[in-house]
Amino acid sequence: MFDEALLSRLLGRALRHGGEFADVFCERRRTFSYRLQDGRIHDASYGVTLGVGIRVVVGESAGYACSDDLSTGALTEAADAASLIAHGSPSGEMKSVDLSLQRAASYYDCRPADGIDAERYVAMLDSADSAARRYDPRVVAVNAHISDEVQEVWIATSEGRLVRDCRPLITLGVQVVASDKKERGSGYVGDGGRTSMAYFDRETPEALAREAARIATVNVSAAPAPAGEMAMIVGAGGGGVLLHEAVGHGLESDFNRRGTSLYSGRIGERVASELVTIYDDGNLHEERGSINVDDEGVPAQHKVLVENGVLLGYMQDRLNARLMGVESTGSGRRQSFRFAPQPRMCNTYMPSGDSSVNEILASTQRGIYAKSFAGGQVEIAKGDFVFMVGEGYLVENGKITTPVRNATIIGNGPEAMMKVVAVGNDARLARRHYTCGKGGQYVPVGVGMPTVKIASITVGGTQHG
Amino acid sequence: MDEAIASELASGALSLAKTAGAQSAEASVSIARRFHAEARENVIARLEGSTGKSLFLRVFHDGRKATLSTSDLSTSGLREAVGRAVAHAGLVAPDEYAGLPDEVAANGAELRLTDARIAERDGSEKVEEALDLERLIRAADVRVVNSSGSHYTDAVGVTAIANSTGFAAAYSWTRAGRSTGPVALDGEIKRIAQYGTSARHLGDLEAPGSVAATAVRRAVDLFGARKPPTMRVPVIFERDVAASLLDDLFAAVSAANVAVGNSWLDGHLGSRIGSEFVNVVDDGRVPGGLGSSPFDGEGVLTRRTPVFERGVLRSFLYDTYYARKLGAASTGNSTGGGVGPSNFYLEPGSISLPELVAATPLGVLVMDTIGFATEHASGTYSRGARGFFIERGELAYPIDEFTIAGLYPEMLAGVDAVANDLRFDAPVVSPSFRVAAMTVSGN
Repeated sequence: MFDEALLSRLLGRALRHGGEFADVFCERRRTFSYRLQDGRIHDASYGVTLGVGIRVVVGESAGYACSDDLSTGALTEAADAASLIAHGSPSGEMKSVDLSLQRAASYYDCRPADGIDAERYVAMLDSADSAARRYDPRVVAVNAHISDEVQEVWIATSEGRLVRDCRPLITLGVQVVASDKKERGSGYVGDGGRTSMAYFDRETPEALAREAARIATVNVSAAPAPAGEMAMIVGAGGGGVLLHEAVGHGLESDFNRRGTSLYSGRIGERVASELVTIYDDGNLHEERGSINVDDEGVPAQHKVLVENGVLLGYMQDRLNARLMGVESTGSGRRQSFRFAPQPRMCNTYMPSGDSSVNEILASTQRGIYAKSFAGGQVEIAKGDFVFMVGEGYLVENGKITTPVRNATIIGNGPEAMMKVVAVGNDARLARRHYTCGKGGQYVPVGVGMPTVKIASITVGGTQHG
Repeated sequence: MDEAIASELASGALSLAKTAGAQSAEASVSIARRFHAEARENVIARLEGSTGKSLFLRVFHDGRKATLSTSDLSTSGLREAVGRAVAHAGLVAPDEYAGLPDEVAANGAELRLTDARIAERDGSEKVEEALDLERLIRAADVRVVNSSGSHYTDAVGVTAIANSTGFAAAYSWTRAGRSTGPVALDGEIKRIAQYGTSARHLGDLEAPGSVAATAVRRAVDLFGARKPPTMRVPVIFERDVAASLLDDLFAAVSAANVAVGNSWLDGHLGSRIGSEFVNVVDDGRVPGGLGSSPFDGEGVLTRRTPVFERGVLRSFLYDTYYARKLGAASTGNSTGGGVGPSNFYLEPGSISLPELVAATPLGVLVMDTIGFATEHASGTYSRGARGFFIERGELAYPIDEFTIAGLYPEMLAGVDAVANDLRFDAPVVSPSFRVAAMTVSGN
């Protein structure tokens, strides 16, 4: 697809004014997607992303240019634009770069982008629709979509590495709205991963749709959420959004190298209860956030971020790792060829602890049980984070009782993690549908967690007193 | 940027679609040259400049619609992709409402969408502007010890559309922005703020000194912030936060959500929802507006649509498809693939924000929120927030790490004052306003 000799020349051209390193990121992505609404297939779409991004790094500065025109002239122009960041050697002596293809381990199977069975996808959406409608007469609307993409990347670096990755990604999402004439409620469930259609033989569209319908009907009859400080039990799986927001973003190396994160300069310090261990892995089989190599060509890794409450490391991309005097952790990711890479999370999760879920519940007089999350956000300087409950219940006298409406929970990263008083023995990864946004770039990620109890946190409902 | 090149690409894609067997089709092409400089201290941390092209195509066959979006505009790449899109339409259920708009037209008069100075601006001058902003935030207050970066961005672009009824039109646009993120040290706590300005004309941008001063004030005014008590009080939303509530309101009046049961406003056309202060407009023709254009994403003339008048819900916002489906007419709000805002805003009142604060004996002024999951089916609103506690009409002390929550039907009915500080620095904007009572959750 991309000529090795041309990539080599572009790297030389990009560095002709100087710079520590340069890379060329070539991408071809094809996406098929289908959308169902009102009980029928409403839209079929096909998307192509094809282009090249060229970066030159000088100290803490990066020059970046991209082109969707693959002609030698246009790519040379992009290399020249990226090279403007460097001010040295204006004479423009070209270095030559010899590329050699590197192999990386594989955590998912590549497959041809156009080998999809579109008719079967469409049939799956129809089954999801009928399963949701059969679940409960209060179901008034079902919106479902499926998308299947294959992203092929070729990354060439000025050190001579040439790396290729081929990343499939499937997502099936079902949104259900239920209504009892007075109140409305909605539920969303999504799943998929870096896998093939066969995944949905195990996690069937019908089961996903019933789950979304169940959440929607629970939310219809949900009471207003309470307001104020109370204990919180975070559900296994999707509760991992908590780690992603409360800790994960704050450990990305750009913020830490610049000193803008509250975790800056705190490696080796206690940042959480000793029950807390957090990993970020790029190398989990078929997970949504997995990558064989990152978007700078570095192999994916298992990273221990926090172990028994002690901060052990940040997630590094090449630029920041270099300035901090460490190695990249394979965390350089980008949305597409139009963007320069940033340090990002892959699959962030907490392994199992010792408590049973029954013990955790029994120890809670009054609190909220957040079974699933609709998303979250963090402000990394002070560390305040929020996450939004998708399905929640009150806990009273050790028992899960009334469902409560969607509420935002707010806390401060280290404060909340210090208050982790129990970690369940039921760790699992969440269903694969999370997408993380940072600096205007969106990448697929995974999260996971056992059932965890936080002694107290602020719940943002409307019921005061 | 050349409108002719974009128009040619659009009409070329259209003929490919016809050759591939589409009964009707519509192609939109956008070409943009974007520039971004980021400074940190005295270093250019990032320098980006690229031209990007993209094509969006809709094809229709026997009431079945398929779409294509691609950045591969090579002849062979485009032919293959268009063929695939047309074949794809066979999988879609026939839909009597799918198809091109009945009426298309373009009118760019008086819109002020371009500033020639942006295209002509020298690269080093733009870089200097980012560096200057970085110097200004550090000079503004000794407590500013760091920053997440200061930015200058601009873009020069053209958008062209063509459809198989013979309609073809194109327009040029420009945009520029400056923003900064000072970090101030409050003891052990890092206080960060983000503030910026954006416009189609350089002359409409807020001056660098003012951007820096506002950003720094937002960081240092939060020094010593604490959690407020949990209570039910009046809440004032400062204009930038107020705009995010208008985003939610847009989602609720978007016909694409109404049609699929995902709006709490479904079934309420003509009803009184808000207080008399709730006057909301979508206007695609605000001169210099970032949401203004001569035509929408499917070639329908842009216009001004009153959405709420004195609290009464007058209209949803439609593209052609959802208008037909819901028995209405397009309001010129197509994005090509869905329904989007043009310039969507709450009409301003007559008092200033300080006067509004002074008229609030007890309450909360919200300067910033985090989180985004409004549940649109029920209108449930909940966010993390920071701002100020108001006592006796004065900002008593800064507060953070709390949430505010309410239900949109009650919140809109409770809007009891609107300030005069509206400005069109984004497609969805709002003046500051006050809601009579919301739940603040803290200690």
